[in-house]
Amino acid sequence: MLGDFILHLGGIQNMVFKKAAFFLLIAANYLPSECDKSKNPNKIVIAGGSLTEIVYDLKEEEKILAVDVTSNFPPEVKDFPSVGYVRALSTEGLLSLGPTLILGEEDMGPPLVLDQLKIVGVDIRVIKDDFSSSSILSKVECISEIIGAKKINTKRLINNLKEKINVLETNIKKNNRAMTILLILGLQGTSPIAAGHSTSGHGFINLLGAKNIMEDVEGWKPISSESILMKNPDIILVTKRGIRSFKNDEAFSNHSSIKFTNAAQNKNVFSLDGMSMLGFGPRTIETAIFVSENLINQ
Amino acid sequence: MNVFLSYFNFLNYLSKFQKFIFYFLIILFFIFFLVSISLGSFNFFLFDLLTYQPDSLNKIVLYEIRIPRVLLAGFVGASLGISGASLQGLFRNPLADPGLIGVSAGAALGAALVIVLGSNFFSEYFFNTFALPFSAISGAALVITLLYFFTRGFGYEGITYMLLIGIAINALASVGIGILTFISSDSELRGLTFWTMGSFGGASWQIIMPALVIIIFTILWMIPSARKLDLLQLGEPEAYRLGIDIQKLKFKVIISSAIIVGVSVALSGMIGFVGLVVPHLVRLIGGVNHSYLLPASAFFGGSLMMSADLLSRILISPAEVPVGLLTSALGAPFFLWLIFNSRKI
Repeated sequence: MLGDFILHLGGIQNMVFKKAAFFLLIAANYLPSECDKSKNPNKIVIAGGSLTEIVYDLKEEEKILAVDVTSNFPPEVKDFPSVGYVRALSTEGLLSLGPTLILGEEDMGPPLVLDQLKIVGVDIRVIKDDFSSSSILSKVECISEIIGAKKINTKRLINNLKEKINVLETNIKKNNRAMTILLILGLQGTSPIAAGHSTSGHGFINLLGAKNIMEDVEGWKPISSESILMKNPDIILVTKRGIRSFKNDEAFSNHSSIKFTNAAQNKNVFSLDGMSMLGFGPRTIETAIFVSENLINQ
Repeated sequence: MNVFLSYFNFLNYLSKFQKFIFYFLIILFFIFFLVSISLGSFNFFLFDLLTYQPDSLNKIVLYEIRIPRVLLAGFVGASLGISGASLQGLFRNPLADPGLIGVSAGAALGAALVIVLGSNFFSEYFFNTFALPFSAISGAALVITLLYFFTRGFGYEGITYMLLIGIAINALASVGIGILTFISSDSELRGLTFWTMGSFGGASWQIIMPALVIIIFTILWMIPSARKLDLLQLGEPEAYRLGIDIQKLKFKVIISSAIIVGVSVALSGMIGFVGLVVPHLVRLIGGVNHSYLLPASAFFGGSLMMSADLLSRILISPAEVPVGLLTSALGAPFFLWLIFNSRKI
């Protein structure tokens, strides 16, 4: 067991290195031409939930060949074959589907598989994301360009998104008070795992015009119960999946580390669907509007 | 009254120096306890503790969050320390560790099941906060039962046989955890990873009270076997001829270690090296007889774990360093030194 434990820790380190190496590789290979039109965008494999959402919103879903497991919206994507987890794709499995284009988010991998696919001649595009409302718009434009979507659909989607972003910004102005947010990914027998900077969660907090109480820490990290009370967030956001070990949202609000915060006292604890909040597809803006409206109506 | 006093007979086997060390470790345990409950995101001064207003935030943090957490750390450390010491005695092997008999792997598998597959297969009412500890304890209990049957009531073929069974069970549990890791989603993977590195963040009174009662009574049950473990060091046949019921001793040590390790892993995740290193440190300080080693390991393990937890809370606040990393960071160099020294002999 001891040995396994050490190996396990080694594995984590290794993943970090691989990911870092992978980002370098991406930066070196794809930056100049990432949004050019693909030669043959008719058989697409998508690795990343937000990209699937966008392709659907562009009404180009008949070009989709397969999706990964993080693609769960709209519900009918479940009918497509699954290529597995976005960070652990397999070369042969992918090639057996005969894709001409692979669209992936930045965490797509492993790098070796991407290299092999490139050698075979599959067009691989990694869509960049900095977790902001403008990057959702640029993702839409980029994908529309790559897959050659109809101009009218693209324009409609972009305008629709811009309108929603306006609604969100007006809501934030109406709210007119400085707020702090804690965003929790999950809570399973340990300390809550919360969003630090450089995460999608931090991006979502920024969308709401609020301050992340974990902004000094990078990545998703456990936060101690007493620090939560010390920082006393005004709002707590949590993924639905992360608190399914609790009977309901109220039971979560009564957890000893949550109960005495401003957020729980003022009933500002929201449990939201993980992908719709953190995926940074079109739904993310709707989710942010939902939260901001709840805050105004108080 | 006599029964109560005769419990402390084990103190008669301690030399003067060992008694001094033993009482010193008890005092150390309470000092670490007081320091740990005083420091953190909120700082408390000991003489303030009684004077806080009933509903102040300070009081809530202290009584609802800090004290349960420090108590859990102390008792988990004590469990791992004493079970490591008694298993090393039973297996007559200085590298034995509570993980060796497969119980912590079984508990880890149980916990991983809940983290990855969720509480879908539990009923809505009773298990919610209890789902994870309950499943982990079931995993540990399953391993104990398997061990019991494979070794025909711990009597069959001697101790090496039991070690091999433990290795096989460890391998099986690792496969299970591996499969769960493979099918887990992003957030579940994070939950699983942090859980295997250990944390006392889940402590609350309703969860730790049953655990503390179980741990205290099991430790009290273990300590009187100390003298028998001493005799066992002569070898199994010799101990048998000296009148030790080997099978009963094995049963007692294995069952009690399994119970407290199972409970500890269920509530705090996998915390490495404490069970291995603490008995060695205690031996280096005071000597090898188990009447001294078992209780002293409990107190020293508790002190070490409380200080590791204190560091985990304050090092990178508001975030937390997983406590298993700190104990391993302290334990691994000592472990290396141990291997290096044993090669020279």
